[in-house]
Amino acid sequence: MGQFIARRLLQSIVVIFGVTLLTFMTLHLAGDPTYLYVSERASEEEIIAARKALGFDRPLPVQYLSFVGGMLQGDLGNSLRARKPALDLVLERLPATLELTLFALVLSTTLSIPIGIFAAMRRGSPADGGIMILAMFGQSMPGFWLGIMLILTVGLGLRILPISGHVAVLQPMLDGDFGKAIGNIPEAIRHLILPGLTISVFSLSRNARLVRSSMLEVLSQDYITTARSKGLGERKVIMRHAFRNALLPLVTLLGLEFGFLLSGVVVTETVFSWPGVGRLVFNAITQRDIPLVQAAVVMFSFLFIFLNLLVDLIYAQLDPRIRLS
Amino acid sequence: MSRKTLLLVLLMVVTALLALVPLASAQTPDETTLVIAQSVDVGALEPSLVGSRAESNIFNHVFATLFEIADDGALVPYLATGYTISEDGTEWTFTLNEGLTCHDGEALTAEDVAYSFTRAADPANAFTGNTVGFVFPSIGYLDARADSDLEVTIVTDRAQSESLRLGLISEVYIHCQDYYSSMSLEEVAEAPVGSGPYRFVEWVRDDYVLIEKVPDYTLRTANFEQMYWRVIPEASTRVAELIAGNVDIIANVPPDQVDAVNNSGSATIQAVAGTRRMYIGFQFGEAFAGEPGYDAIQNTDVRVALQYAVDVPTICATLLGTECTRASSMVNDPNSNPNLSPYPYDAAQAEALLDAAGYPRDANGVRFEITLQGPRGRYLNDANVVLAIGQYLTDVGVQTNVEILDWSSEYLPMVREKNVGPLFFLGSGGSTWSALYDMADLSAPDAGTNYTNWANAEWFELWDQTAGVDPEAERVLVDQMLEVFFNDPPWLLLYFQPDFYGVSSRLNWTARRDEQIVVYAAALN
Repeated sequence: MGQFIARRLLQSIVVIFGVTLLTFMTLHLAGDPTYLYVSERASEEEIIAARKALGFDRPLPVQYLSFVGGMLQGDLGNSLRARKPALDLVLERLPATLELTLFALVLSTTLSIPIGIFAAMRRGSPADGGIMILAMFGQSMPGFWLGIMLILTVGLGLRILPISGHVAVLQPMLDGDFGKAIGNIPEAIRHLILPGLTISVFSLSRNARLVRSSMLEVLSQDYITTARSKGLGERKVIMRHAFRNALLPLVTLLGLEFGFLLSGVVVTETVFSWPGVGRLVFNAITQRDIPLVQAAVVMFSFLFIFLNLLVDLIYAQLDPRIRLS
Repeated sequence: MSRKTLLLVLLMVVTALLALVPLASAQTPDETTLVIAQSVDVGALEPSLVGSRAESNIFNHVFATLFEIADDGALVPYLATGYTISEDGTEWTFTLNEGLTCHDGEALTAEDVAYSFTRAADPANAFTGNTVGFVFPSIGYLDARADSDLEVTIVTDRAQSESLRLGLISEVYIHCQDYYSSMSLEEVAEAPVGSGPYRFVEWVRDDYVLIEKVPDYTLRTANFEQMYWRVIPEASTRVAELIAGNVDIIANVPPDQVDAVNNSGSATIQAVAGTRRMYIGFQFGEAFAGEPGYDAIQNTDVRVALQYAVDVPTICATLLGTECTRASSMVNDPNSNPNLSPYPYDAAQAEALLDAAGYPRDANGVRFEITLQGPRGRYLNDANVVLAIGQYLTDVGVQTNVEILDWSSEYLPMVREKNVGPLFFLGSGGSTWSALYDMADLSAPDAGTNYTNWANAEWFELWDQTAGVDPEAERVLVDQMLEVFFNDPPWLLLYFQPDFYGVSSRLNWTARRDEQIVVYAAALN
């Protein structure tokens, strides 16, 4: 296992360099970012001075190598707009995004499993058909539209949940203020429900269908027939024999799921005014705050690599047939 | 799962949800709190680094200035009681009110005012943005010095229009030296100490900035104890929060949501004719020689003819959701030339003038071809406005090829490099307090903002004469210049971009024309 982990970490270094290079090139393809940092009436001299102050007057390879050199020393540069370390800004906003993403992950996982099992056990019934139709809608609905609809119906129409905004739980915990964190939980959950639903609907629908298919496949295996023929109750057959094996594809997906949910937070964080990393990166891209985009990309890459590694390790634990070598 | 268990779980979920319901109204602000929602967050709370309207809106409450631009465009005393100008017009000496303090209790004297200017101009701080990038070069700033505790002199390199210079100086936010010199740039950018009627309390990035009233502040009235400046980027969400009563003021309401707000009963829309001049620029730059239509638009008669080809009021009514009067000049009222009337929409007149200019329709009905470039995502319904204008021009025989480009990645760099045209759609911020401010887009043939590369000699001769003359003489020169502009137009004049503000019914507040949100005098109905 140690060799496996070491090999994956080495591979991750290559991935991170590749991702940052691609990001850097893409951002600079869109032209000179200086104009976004000067007044609309700035003179040519002021533009030149600003370009120099922002470091955009250097050749692109020099700019990138400077970034890489800093990265190797743990310095990902300063945000051009906020004028503070870019990584600090990203880490500052990460808890809010983690709250939202984890909430959505828990929501989609905890709901999709029983729904998928239920549908599998009632295969061919109206309930199964209804669930599959709903799942299809869930996968088809654009997140942006769903978010706005939830705001208009639940937030504005029924007025039972907040329309937008965020109440922190993770950040106070990280600051050591557990009393505040616990006190914030009820309000935090109220603020999490609408954006959490918005992000999780697609995953929930897809995962429910996946669990259903996986369960159906497992239920058709010989050992399930054997278990039933031994006289085991159906609940024991499902939970003790079928469930764990049916879960394997879902576990594989969960590692990617987190990355998928992270990519979806940009729209949701914008719609619900959630102060997370997604919005930070989106604004940084539109403002061409290149150090900030790079810092976020590096951070996301690390996160993604770590999660996939974790999933592989968990998978190996779940299925003894898997050998990491 | 048995039915009993399922029912029990459902009951628990419903109970939990119901338990949360009574808190649903917790977001409505009370009588002592004002909530304003903007679409973007501040980048930093640094008074010398103003890069967006979102920042200046908050700074207008946390920091004071020497003079202030009032809602009606008048320049009124604020920290200063008055000023004198040296004989050669290069030194302006302001006299401060007595007993001024910053929010940390430190006395605010002339030394702090001078420091506010010198700190902004210090190359070591590498500030960009409005103060250093526009105000200082525009006034020809050289230095600032304290002559006494209450007298501060701003030194410039030339004489200038009094109203123009005073208005520009009014954009410099005053802060105290003791605090700002003792902290790093990074520290003060997150914890400002100001000089205005409100002081900073908290900033949660991309969520809100909270400011609270300064007790015993005498220079301005502050009716609310605290103000939340929330960040709500999505327009539909801002509107929903306004209608729900959780926000008191929002800006940039999309035209298609105006009726929803007005019909809500909890808020109304204030549509104001903003100060941003929207126009189609005619490109005179030689780099475009050879482009289709370039030669035609070098002809003054053609440019005048095209003024008649576009129905601006219809564009406003159908695409911008409001009535508007076409601009008669590049200057906002009340500073424009009252003798000039907007070009009316008259397609027949446009055709007749184009015929007379030597551009009749050919066998295909085309007089000449030309390209019109415009942005998407910068101005109100910009892409559709550009398409509509392209069609109007095509209807009078000017076959117009419309190119819509992304604002930040394509269009803005092209504009800044004067590489747009031969026709291009653009907006330029204006003012209510100075005609010359609005005309400064064309302050020189090679001025950075002269995107058309217009080089009318008479205009620039008159411009040079405006430096340091008295207001009456200045008015005469301005009117002459605006006639020159009208008769030899470098712009196809369109409209002043309307701004739509959503305002809660509980609030008594009137929106300004200059895109600034100033609310310390707002009060409850």
